[in-house]
Amino acid sequence: MVVFAAPAYASPCDVSLAVPPIHSKKAGDWMACEIAGVETIVARFVGGATEKAGHRTVAAQNPEPLLVTRALEVGYDGEAILPAIDLRIGRKEFWSVIGPNGAGKSTFVRTLLGLDRPVRGSVTRAPDLRPCYVPQQATLDPIFPIKVLDFVLMGALERGKLLGPAGQVEIEAALQALAEVRAADLRRRLLRDLSGGQRQRVLLARALAARANLYVLDEPTAALDVASEREVLELVGALTAGRGATVVMITHMLEDALQRADQILFLDREHGLALAGPPREIVKSPGLQRLYGPVMSPKPNPNATG
Amino acid sequence: MNSGPAPSLGEFIANWSIFRDAVITGSLAGALLGFLGVQIILRRMVFASSAIAQAAALGVALSFWVPAAIDPIGHAARHAADPSAHIVPLLFEPVIWALAAALLATLAFIANPVKLHLTRESVLGVVFLVGASGAVIIGDRITQESHDLAAILFGSAVVVERSDLVLVSIATVVILGIHVLLWRPLIFVAYDPTGAQVQDLPVRKLNLFVFLAIGVAVALCTRALGALPVFAFSVLPAMAALTLTDDLAIAFALATGIGALSGGAGYVVSFRGELPVGATQAAVALGVLAAALVRRVIQGLSRRRDRAAR
Repeated sequence: MVVFAAPAYASPCDVSLAVPPIHSKKAGDWMACEIAGVETIVARFVGGATEKAGHRTVAAQNPEPLLVTRALEVGYDGEAILPAIDLRIGRKEFWSVIGPNGAGKSTFVRTLLGLDRPVRGSVTRAPDLRPCYVPQQATLDPIFPIKVLDFVLMGALERGKLLGPAGQVEIEAALQALAEVRAADLRRRLLRDLSGGQRQRVLLARALAARANLYVLDEPTAALDVASEREVLELVGALTAGRGATVVMITHMLEDALQRADQILFLDREHGLALAGPPREIVKSPGLQRLYGPVMSPKPNPNATG
Repeated sequence: MNSGPAPSLGEFIANWSIFRDAVITGSLAGALLGFLGVQIILRRMVFASSAIAQAAALGVALSFWVPAAIDPIGHAARHAADPSAHIVPLLFEPVIWALAAALLATLAFIANPVKLHLTRESVLGVVFLVGASGAVIIGDRITQESHDLAAILFGSAVVVERSDLVLVSIATVVILGIHVLLWRPLIFVAYDPTGAQVQDLPVRKLNLFVFLAIGVAVALCTRALGALPVFAFSVLPAMAALTLTDDLAIAFALATGIGALSGGAGYVVSFRGELPVGATQAAVALGVLAAALVRRVIQGLSRRRDRAAR
C-alpha cells in the first residue's frame, strides 16, 4: 500500500494532486503533485515510501517568472534520470542547485538553458530572458591564447551584432565589468595564465558584461582556496543584490547554499529525488539528511531576496 | 635524377612567367590554410584537414576514372589527340569532384557520432582511409592521368593551371574576408561553444562556416598543389605562429604570413634544389616551425636565468 505522507510544513488539507491517482502509480514511477500554497512537489515512489518537499509560491510577488518548468524530465537518449520537475524561477531569486556528484545537476541546468532537450515536459522562458552561463573554469581550454579583455568582450556579443570589431561602448562595459570584479589590472593578461581565483573573477566579469537577467553558474568555487572562494561568493551575491538578476548556482557548498539561497533544488539521481523549496524546508528532507547527515537550520540571510 | 648543376635563381627569374602562377597559387594556398590552421589547431581537429585532403584526392581520382570507365574508347581517343589538354565536360572537372568529396568528408566531420558510441576522430580515421586507399586503388586503374594523380597525392605538381589560381584566389579573399568580419563570434564559438549558445549566438551556423571553409579550402588547394603540402600548410604555420606569440590576432596574421612564405619560398627552393615541390614546401614550413620552437626554448631559458638572477 502506498502511503502519501504530507510533510510537516504542509497541512494535509492543502494537498491536491496534479497527477493521476496515487494508487495507480507503481513503485519506481515518477510523480508530480501540487500543494495549495506550495508551488512544487516532486517526488518518487520508492517501494511505497514517498518523499516530498515544497516551497512557497512566488507567483504573487513575481507575476512573470523568468523560467517555468512543467513536468520537466531531464536525461539522455530519451531516458529520464530524475523525477519530473515543476519550478517557477522568479526574478531576482537566488537558486542553489545541490546534490552529490552525478546527481543530474548539470544535466538539469543544461536542459533549463536549452542546451539539451527535455526527455519530457517543457521549459517556458520569459520573452525578456537574457541568460548567461558561467562554466566551470576547468572546462576552459588551457591552450587557447585568449586575453582577459577579449574574453570579457565575448559577454557583450549579441545575435544580430556579430560583424566587425568591438565598439567603444562594449569595450567600456567590459572594462567596467572587470573593475567590478577587481580585475581591471588583469585585462592584458592571458586567461590561461591566471590563478584559479583570478580566472573565476574574470568569468564573472564576462557574465556582467553580458548584462544578463539570469546568471547560471556551474560550481564557481570549485578548486579555489578559502579566500578566493569567499571573494567569488561575495561577487555572486552581488549579482542578485546589486544587479537585480536571478542566479542559479550549482554548488557543493551545502552550508553556503542554505545560507545564501532563496530557493534550493536538491537533486539525487541515485535515490530518484528532486526536491525544491526554501532552505528552511529543504533541510527537513530525509533524503538530504541521509546524504549530508543532520543539517543545521539555516540562519536568516540578510542577502536573501525571497 | 638530374646530376647536372643546380638551376640558378637567375634562371628562375628569367622563366618567371612559367612559374608565376604556381608560386602565387602556392603562396595564396599557404596563406589561406595557414590562417585556417589556427582554427584547426585551437579546435583540436588537425586530423580533419588531412582526412579532407585525402577525400579531395579521391574525388580527383574519380573524376579521371569515371569518364574513362563510362566511355573507355572515346576517353583514350581524346587523350591521344592531345595528352596535355585537360578539356573535360564540366561534369567531370576534377575540381568539382574534389569539392564534392571534400564537402562529403566535411559533413562526416560535422555529424555527431556519439549516438553510435564513436568518437569524431574515429570517423575522421575512416574518412582518411577511404580517401587514401580509394585514391591509390582508383589510381591503379587509371593509365592516362596517373601522373596527374600522383602529383595530387604527393604534391609534386610543378605547373598550376590558371583556373586553379583563380579559384584559390577567390577562396582566399572570400574565406579570409568573412573570417575577419566574423572574427569575434568565431573565436567565442571556438573557445566556449556552450557560453556562446546560451547567449543565443548562431553556434551551429558559425561552426558550419568554419568546417565548410576548411572543406572548400582544402579541396581547392589539394587540386592545385596536392594533399601533402595542403596538410602541411594547415598545421605547421599555425603551430609556428602559436609558438611565436601569445596574441591570438597576431597568431592568425603570422600563420598567414608563414603559410604564404612556405608556399612561395618552398617552390623556389624546390626549383633550385630540383626537389619535389610539395614536400619542399612542407619542409620549408617545418623549418620555420623548428626555428620558432628554438626561439621559444631560448626565451624560456633566458626567463629562467633572469628569475634566478633576481
